Amino acid sequence: MADAQQAARAQPSTADREIVISRSIDAPRELVFEAFTEVRHLSHWWGPEGFTTTTRSFEFRLDGVWDFVMHGPDGTDYPEWITWTEIVAPERIALLHGESRDDPNAFTTVLTFEPDGATTRIVMRTVFPTRQLRDDAVAKYHAIEGGRQTLSSLAAYVSELLRRGAQR
Amino acid sequence: MARAATTSDAFNAIAEPQRRDILALLRGGEWPVTDLAQQLGMSAPRASKHLRVLREVGLVRVRGVGKQRLYGLDARGLRPIHEWVGGFEQFWAGSFDRLDSYVQDLKQTRQGE
Repeated sequence: MADAQQAARAQPSTADREIVISRSIDAPRELVFEAFTEVRHLSHWWGPEGFTTTTRSFEFRLDGVWDFVMHGPDGTDYPEWITWTEIVAPERIALLHGESRDDPNAFTTVLTFEPDGATTRIVMRTVFPTRQLRDDAVAKYHAIEGGRQTLSSLAAYVSELLRRGAQR
Repeated sequence: MARAATTSDAFNAIAEPQRRDILALLRGGEWPVTDLAQQLGMSAPRASKHLRVLREVGLVRVRGVGKQRLYGLDARGLRPIHEWVGGFEQFWAGSFDRLDSYVQDLKQTRQGE
């Protein structure tokens, strides 16, 4: 067995209940970080095209809260509640994300911002408390997404597999 | 807390790195168990055990060709995984698209000041 290969894998403790998404943005790190820190910025980009947000309260600081409603393109409203558990400008933001205060299904997200030349790499690691809670939360996001056609590379790959499987 | 049995849940089945290696190999086509085991550097009994788990959750299928039994991907079992990855990841891919264009606007505004 290739031990080195094994060691390079994600930690087994969270690998089956986490999702890691990364993205490069063509802007300096300070500017990208800033877009996460003020509601006047967040309201411009939170959620895919067609989504809007209404903020009830917003305080970007340790233990501060963003209490808001997300409006889907089909008119459905989703209550959202975020509290920041770590803020290290302009490098790192950790938060707890649920539907309301004391939501037992809340999940943790850690965002890191790394400079890469003139661009910034965002890595977003979301860890769900249990596999079941992950499935529940993600089912919600799947519902929110509806029939959106913009497939990520992994989703596109799996779609291709499904198509190939169906042809057999 | 009791975990769902590995043999009844595709998410648990693919949490095992060697089983993911098998799935990755089967992307390229069908393999007999002995060749598959050799390719991945595991024993044939171990490969057989992993393949049995993957078959039970519907991720792998087997068919007989002459004397050989060939293992291949069974895409039906991937559907629940596809659904949860697709929803969450797409939501954030869409958000980051908007973040990107918003930050470009910010950058231009700041440079103009």
